[in-house]
Amino acid sequence: MRRAALVRESLSDAWSSKVPSAIIALIVAAMCVMTISTVGRTAAAEAQVAERINSAGARELVVTDKRGAQLITPTLVDMASRLSVTDRAVGIGSPQDVKNAGIGPGATPVPAWAVVGDLEAVAHLVSGRMPGPGEALISTTALKKAGLEYPVGSMTSSDPRLPHGYAVVGSFTPVEPFSELGQGLIVTAPEGAASTNLRIVLKQAGQAEVAQAAILSFFNDVQDPQALGVSSPVELAQLHSEVVGDLGGFGRSLLYSALGIGALLVSIVVFADILVRRKDLGRRRALGATRGNIVWLMLLRSLFPAVTGGILGVVGGIVAAQQAGSLPPLTFCLGVLVLSLISAGLSTLVPASFAAFTDPVKVLRTP
Amino acid sequence: MSALSVQGLAFTYTSGGDELFDGLSHEFAPGKITAVTGPSGRGKSTLLYVLGLMLTPSRGEVRIQGEAVSSAPDAARSGIRAAMLGFVFQDAALDPSRSVLDSVMEPSLYAGRTRRDSLERARQLLDELGVGARADHRPGQISGGQAQRVAVARALMNNPAVILADEPTGNLDPSNAEGVIDILSKAAGSQQRTVVIATHDPYVIRRSDEVLSL
Repeated sequence: MRRAALVRESLSDAWSSKVPSAIIALIVAAMCVMTISTVGRTAAAEAQVAERINSAGARELVVTDKRGAQLITPTLVDMASRLSVTDRAVGIGSPQDVKNAGIGPGATPVPAWAVVGDLEAVAHLVSGRMPGPGEALISTTALKKAGLEYPVGSMTSSDPRLPHGYAVVGSFTPVEPFSELGQGLIVTAPEGAASTNLRIVLKQAGQAEVAQAAILSFFNDVQDPQALGVSSPVELAQLHSEVVGDLGGFGRSLLYSALGIGALLVSIVVFADILVRRKDLGRRRALGATRGNIVWLMLLRSLFPAVTGGILGVVGGIVAAQQAGSLPPLTFCLGVLVLSLISAGLSTLVPASFAAFTDPVKVLRTP
Repeated sequence: MSALSVQGLAFTYTSGGDELFDGLSHEFAPGKITAVTGPSGRGKSTLLYVLGLMLTPSRGEVRIQGEAVSSAPDAARSGIRAAMLGFVFQDAALDPSRSVLDSVMEPSLYAGRTRRDSLERARQLLDELGVGARADHRPGQISGGQAQRVAVARALMNNPAVILADEPTGNLDPSNAEGVIDILSKAAGSQQRTVVIATHDPYVIRRSDEVLSL
């Protein structure tokens, strides 16, 4: 039997058996709506939780030189930035107050941080240029506080660790998770200067444990264990893994249940349809249809209404999920459609095989 | 060489059950109608289904064009049924959901022909059998006699060498029965087809060229 004839016969069969076709379409549509509006919401929630847990702030590992023992050197910052698990790494000193030199001693102090490493890791340049030695960038939000109308001017510091004056050469907005830098200025740390904090943004929160072990191995020579403070997202990573695992497991069992129940119902409908139409199938066999033809006819005959129901169900499920305020990803919806069709197809195979292997003589001779 | 013959044929529905046909050997002559007759329960219809390769004999062979085919794989037997055998059932067995024209074309689909290739022959057959005007009707919209003519047209669709008819006049009045037997006689005589009819209708037996009594 030619493929085109097979498709046409199946379509014609599906159209002429309107009640079973409508029931199959309804079952598949219900499978999709239920899956998307329940599992889809779980998937959306899982994606949101994962996104939050995996945000830049949650991927940050901070090592603090608690006693100011010059432990976090520029070399060490460089080594940390080269780790395969590292997205960005910088050394940041304690904030020091600086004032607008144009206003003088009465100016409002704003904090300034000396940064070791690539400034672009912590700041997004808004205007001007990146600073060189003795120059600074001021955050767009600190401009007013510092008494500057434009990011141009001179700031002074009384801190002996910082140069006495800075030329402001541009403005910036802080890059997550360095939002506190938005309160003031950043300057390139003097050559060889140690930092108070080593701040490492990891590529993934789940890599926290590995990263922490690698970073701490850089401090093996430190005798005093109290000299270093470590703030690590290891627990957050574990929580991430557990939450995503729990939500995923719940979603999977819901999905399998929906698909399983849907498949069973489709199978029952197809089986009943075959029993009603057994004479029709017997006639086809007598006229020369092979068992393969019968299986394909039954399979396609079920898939046509299943596709219709699946598309309607996905649209309905998306609308329902949207109204509930948690739209699942489109790939998830397409996946549900494909899985529903596979499920409907597989569930048709058993009754279709039964039809193909039923003795045609017996059904033809049954009144 | 006859298109259809059987050698040492026997069939049983259940293992160890009563055997039908008792080692029947027979050559069905081309161009003639053979009536298979006998009391109820002797296997008239069963013989037709065995000849039509829908049942596998417990002993012996069915030969089509000289080739033993009764124990061939199912797909091969289906192919032979589609290409070389035409079936006429007692109740016409037309699909109520398709038109008369589509019903006639149905066997050509299983023989792998396209709808376009089959359309002209199906219309021609319906015209020849006097039901051309009903081509677009559904089986429920035509009479029993017309339905049986459509069933004969369907059996002739693939130009088979053998036509097997199971009580084709069983549900018809004498006038329609005569019409159907006329058509089958013409199909046998003019085109050298082998026609085998399972029947207990004396009229059909009278019109047959030979009678095989079971």
